[in-house]
Amino acid sequence: MTIDEETFRIFQRVGKEVLMRNLGSSHSGNISIRSGGKIIIKKRAAMLGWLEPEDLIECTLDKEDSSSLLASTELGVHRAIYQQTDAMAVVHTHSPYSVVLSLIEDEITCIDAEGMFMYKKIPVVELNVPSGSSEAAEKVPPILKNYPACVIRSHGVFAKGITLEDALQNATGVEFSAQIRYLTMLTGKPLKRDYSKEKDFGNW
Amino acid sequence: MKGMHNKLLSADLSVQSSAESTIDAEKLTGYLGGRGLGVKLFTSLVNPRTDPLSPDNCLVFATGPLTGSIVPTSGRFSLVTKSPLTGLILYSNTGGSVGPALKSTGYDCLVVRGRLDEPCYMLVSEGEEPQIIPCRDLWGLDTLETQNRLESLGLGRFHSLMIGPAGENGVLYASIMNDGNHRAFGRGGSGAVMGAKNLKAIVIKVGKAKPDIDNPELLTTYVKSARDKMKVAPITNSSLPMFGTAGLLNVINELGMLGIKNFQVGYSHEAENLSGEAIREQIFEKDEGCYACPIRCGRMTKTQSMNGKGPEFESLLLGTLTSIFDLVTVTEANYHCNLLGLDTVSTAGTISCAMELREKGALNDDRIQFGNKDILIPLIEDIAYRRGIGEELASGSAQLAAKHGMPDAAVHVKGMELPAYDPRGAIGHALGYATSNRGGCHLTGYLVSMEVFAAPKKIPRASTGSKADLLVLKQHQSAIEDSLIVCKFAGYALGFDFYSRFATAVTGEDLNITRLMKIGERIYNLERLFNVKAGLSRKDDTLPKRFLTEPLSEGLSKGRTVPLDSMLEDYYRLRDWDKTGAPSRAKLEELHIKP
Ligand code: SF4
Repeated sequence: MTIDEETFRIFQRVGKEVLMRNLGSSHSGNISIRSGGKIIIKKRAAMLGWLEPEDLIECTLDKEDSSSLLASTELGVHRAIYQQTDAMAVVHTHSPYSVVLSLIEDEITCIDAEGMFMYKKIPVVELNVPSGSSEAAEKVPPILKNYPACVIRSHGVFAKGITLEDALQNATGVEFSAQIRYLTMLTGKPLKRDYSKEKDFGNW
Repeated sequence: MKGMHNKLLSADLSVQSSAESTIDAEKLTGYLGGRGLGVKLFTSLVNPRTDPLSPDNCLVFATGPLTGSIVPTSGRFSLVTKSPLTGLILYSNTGGSVGPALKSTGYDCLVVRGRLDEPCYMLVSEGEEPQIIPCRDLWGLDTLETQNRLESLGLGRFHSLMIGPAGENGVLYASIMNDGNHRAFGRGGSGAVMGAKNLKAIVIKVGKAKPDIDNPELLTTYVKSARDKMKVAPITNSSLPMFGTAGLLNVINELGMLGIKNFQVGYSHEAENLSGEAIREQIFEKDEGCYACPIRCGRMTKTQSMNGKGPEFESLLLGTLTSIFDLVTVTEANYHCNLLGLDTVSTAGTISCAMELREKGALNDDRIQFGNKDILIPLIEDIAYRRGIGEELASGSAQLAAKHGMPDAAVHVKGMELPAYDPRGAIGHALGYATSNRGGCHLTGYLVSMEVFAAPKKIPRASTGSKADLLVLKQHQSAIEDSLIVCKFAGYALGFDFYSRFATAVTGEDLNITRLMKIGERIYNLERLFNVKAGLSRKDDTLPKRFLTEPLSEGLSKGRTVPLDSMLEDYYRLRDWDKTGAPSRAKLEELHIKP
C-alpha cells in the first residue's frame, strides 16, 4: 500500500489542528478518509498531532481485515459510518466542551450564529460502553445519515465531511457551539434573544 | 407517494390517442421523479437499439416531488429520451415555469411517442384529454414567433415547449426551448427528436391541481432556513445574482482552464471582453429567474439591434472556442441559437472544430477561420437550415472531423461536445466528462464545484487522490438533484442534508441521505445499462486525445494533462463495472435492476 504525499500532508495538517485546538489528550482521537473504495485511517497509539507517514494504514471498507491489528481502535465505527452514510471523511475528537454538555443535555442546541447556520442542533448518543465498542458502530451511523456530527455522551465528537478538512470543520464547529452554550450557561443569565427558538430548531 | 399525483399521461402521435395511467408506488419510491422516474419509464418503453429519430423513440417529461413546491429553485423538470447526437440515453432538465405548469394539470409525467404526418402541437389541460392540433402555419417559425403565435390563439394562461427551425430540420444538437426563448432543454438534440415527430410545440395550460404534502409545517421551517443560507452564501447571494453564470468566466480563464480556440489554449487576456462584468456594464437590462428562485441568475440583455436572454457562461463558448472575443457578436450569436433552437455548446464546439480543420488544411473554406466574427451568425443560420457547409455541421463535430479525416479535431465525449472547462485544469472533473452517461457533460458529476469553487470544500484540482470516490458521490448526488428536482446552483448554499429534509417533509418517506444516495446509484446504473445495451463499452469512457497527451502551454494550468487511466481503474472498481463497461450482475441485483 502507498499513501500519496498529498493525502499524508492533509492528515498531518488536520491531526496537528486537532492537537492545537485542545480537542483531546496526546493520544486520543482518530481521523480517516474514504479513498479508492478503501479507508485510510490513523494507526492505534499514533499521536494525532505528530503524524509520520507510517502512522497511516489502509483498510478494507466492506469487511473486516487484518489491518485491525494496527488500525485505530475506533476503526469499526469509522467503517460503519462509511458503509451507511455519504461520509467521505471522519474526524473523531474528545472535545471537552462537547463532552461536558453531553453529560447534562440530550442534544446540543446551537445558539451562536455559526452553529445555527451550520448545524442547528447536535444529537447526543448514549452508549453502555462509551469507548471503542461495537455499540458505537451500531448507533452513530444512523444519526450521521441526517446530521454532520454527533456527540457520544462522556466520550467525544464524531463528525463526517466530504473531505478531511470538512469533517474537521464540523468537529471544531460543534465544539465551538458547545463552548458558547456552556459559557452562556455559566453566566447564569437568561438569553436576551434566543434565535434557536425563533427558527424552530427543535424541529430540525 | 406524496408530493406527486402518481399520474402519467401518454400520447401516441401516430394514432392520435392518449391514455392516463397510475405510476406504480415502487417506481416512485425507487426512482423519486424527474430524471430518475423519467429514466425508469423510458427504459421500460424504448429498445436501446431504437433509432432516436424514429417514431419509436419517446420523449418522457417528468416532474419531481419538489417541482412546483415552495422549495427554492424547484421550478425545474426533466426530459429523458434517446439522443440523436450520441445514440445514448439523454437526460436533461430545464428551469422556468413549465414544470410547475405540468404539475398543475394533475399529471407528474408526459410521455410522447409516434409521429404525426403533418406538423402539430399538443395542448395539455387539467381534466381534459390532450389535443393534438395540426399547425402547418407554425412550422418554420423561430421560437419567439412560435410563442407569439401561440399567445395570439386565446388559450388562456399557459407555458410552452417548442422547437425552432433547427429541430424541424433535424440538426442533431437542436434544443427544445421553453416559453419562447426563456430556458432550454439544451443538450443532446432533444429538439431533433421532437422535430422528427412533427411536433412543433407542447402547450400546457396552467391548472389548479396540487399534490398532497406530507408535512407542510416542517417543509416551511426547512425552506426558511434554506432561504437564510442562500442569502448569505457568496455565490448565491451576490456572484450569480450580480453577474449570472457568466461571472464564472474570469475565474476559469485566470486558472488557465477556459475552452479557447477549440481547446488548443486555456487562457486568453481577451476573454475578459466576454466576462460577467463586461455583460453587466455593456448589455445588461435586468435580471430574471426561474419559478421560486431567489438567486435569479438569468440576464435579460440587449445590443443595438436585438434583445434577448443571456449569454450564459457555457454559451460564451460561441466566442471563446472560436477566438471571437467580441461581446456583441457573441451575444447576438447566442440570441440566434435560442431563436433557431440550437444547443449553444455543441454549436460552438462544432464551429470551432470546423475552424481547426480549416487551420490544419482539412477543410477548404477560407471564411471559416478562428477570430472571423463575420462568419459566426451566418454559420449558425446555415446549420439550422442545413444550408451549404451547415449541412455537414448539423451532424456535430465528431462526424464532421471524421469525415475530413482528422477525428482528433473534434472535442467531444461519446459524440457530445464538451462544455467550457478544459479538463486539464481540474482532473476529477475530467473523469466526470469521461464517465458521464450522456457524453461530454459538466453537470452529471460537477466535481469542478469542489476543485475550483470550493463548494462545499476545496480539493486540489491537479491530484488524483480520492477523485474517483468523490466523483461517484457527486454523480449520485447529481442524479438526486435532477430527480427531486432542484437547481444545481442551490448547492452552492445548501448541503445535501437539505434535500433529504425537503424530500422527507414532502413525500412522508424516510428519504435520509443514505437512502437518497442508493437511489442515485440505481438511476446511474440503469442509465449505464441502457447505454451498454445501445452499444457503449469501456473504450468510450475516454477523453479527446489532446487532453491526455498535449499539455496546456500557458496560464495557471500550464504543463498539465489528464492522468485518466489510473482514475478510471479506481472508478470502475468502485462502481463494480466489468471489463466491458457493464454493471456487474451483483451490482444490478443489489440495486434491484433487471439485467
Ligand atoms: S439559479 Fe438560475 S437556473 Fe437555477 S433556478 Fe435560479 S434562475 Fe433558474
